[in-house]
Amino acid sequence: MEDAQIVNGLVRRCIAGDAVAWEEIVQRYNRRIYNICYRFAGSPDDAQDLTQEVFIKMYRTLSSYDVERGAFMTWITTMTRNLLVDHFRKTKQDRVTDSIDAPPSEHEDSMPLSDQIPDKGPAPDTKVQSRETGAVVHEALQKLSPELREAVILRDLQDMDYREIAAVLRVPEGTVKSRINRGRAELARLLQRIYRQVM
Amino acid sequence: MPGETHNGMQCNEFEGLLFDALDGLLTGAKQDRFQAHARVCAKCGPMLAEIEAGQHWLKSLVEVEPPAHLVNDVLAATSGIPSYRLEEIATSAHKPSFGERLREWSDSVLAPFWSTVRQPRFAMSFGMAFFSLSVALSVAGVKPNDLKQADLSRSGLRRTYYTTSARVVKYYENIRLVYEIESKVQELRKVTRPAGRKEEKERERNHKNNTSGEPEPRQERNYIRDENQPALASVPENPPAVSVTTIRRLV
Repeated sequence: MEDAQIVNGLVRRCIAGDAVAWEEIVQRYNRRIYNICYRFAGSPDDAQDLTQEVFIKMYRTLSSYDVERGAFMTWITTMTRNLLVDHFRKTKQDRVTDSIDAPPSEHEDSMPLSDQIPDKGPAPDTKVQSRETGAVVHEALQKLSPELREAVILRDLQDMDYREIAAVLRVPEGTVKSRINRGRAELARLLQRIYRQVM
Repeated sequence: MPGETHNGMQCNEFEGLLFDALDGLLTGAKQDRFQAHARVCAKCGPMLAEIEAGQHWLKSLVEVEPPAHLVNDVLAATSGIPSYRLEEIATSAHKPSFGERLREWSDSVLAPFWSTVRQPRFAMSFGMAFFSLSVALSVAGVKPNDLKQADLSRSGLRRTYYTTSARVVKYYENIRLVYEIESKVQELRKVTRPAGRKEEKERERNHKNNTSGEPEPRQERNYIRDENQPALASVPENPPAVSVTTIRRLV
């Protein structure tokens, strides 16, 4: 039996009120949803809360899932992404836009955005030395704009193909590819800057 | 510039092939032309390097482990049913026997008591209390053997109950007989009282005619009140409140 058929069977049993099927769904997808939330929100506590919210919403709206309209994985990733965007809007976190090195507007000074953002943490060399590379990359990822961040997370961390990402983000495939490339380049520039300061 | 041509490839074409190249789908002559353009183009070369570096950094991020209690929290927040798997694992790992559970319970209950009793001052007090109790029981004539022989079976208890109630009824009947005899005696006394009064009147008359001057013999006053004469007493307007406590003795 294929994975999609197994999942569809689980969904049907769950809608019928089978608690064991629901637990199977939670066991299957909690890791994936938690990782998306963690990489997008940045903190483990937020990721935990958001994962719970995703499953609560999923539990309530599971009967609305239509097998014909798409894969279950795409459905839950879309739900996760929408909740993350809502969370981002509520918390009103200020993120760097996709043009991190370009001047934000003609009326402001010509200093790039990355230089305008004050770094309130410890000195870069201390930061890099004290933390592992993964933590530094994770921190740099948080400085990307939400559009670029979600695109690179879904592509490079969740290994979704462009069509699935386009379905989740509800944008054309071309836009998805553009965002992914801009996100990767942006991240590389940020990390290069950090390591240049260390050296 | 997008329209620039290097090694037979324009920048627009380079950008179109970029994703295939990054995903490892580009092969043969196309890949060679792509690589050659990246080497010589001042715009596309650095752009490809940055994108590849960013992709490399992102691929270095490993998947994080969700908290162990996340599944249970989710289940509690949604279906409200605890994880059957975790329960199964917990129960199959170690199932304590009845003896172990009893020992655990007794340890948890008796441990504080024993830790107190083991202290020397308490041990001495308990020893003295035991000695006093044994002396008191031996003086009272209570023997442990008697207690052992006590019939605590259902029929034995019933027999004891009936014996005891018969003894109480018999005692009550005896008391009633005593009171009946007493009341009869009182009635007889009342019957014999008028004859005594006549003697008293004669003695009084003799006293009035006595002119001998000898001291009068001491007269015994009768303080017994006649039942037909009611006792009158003056009651104050605001009598003090008097509380009366009756103690009943149970026989």
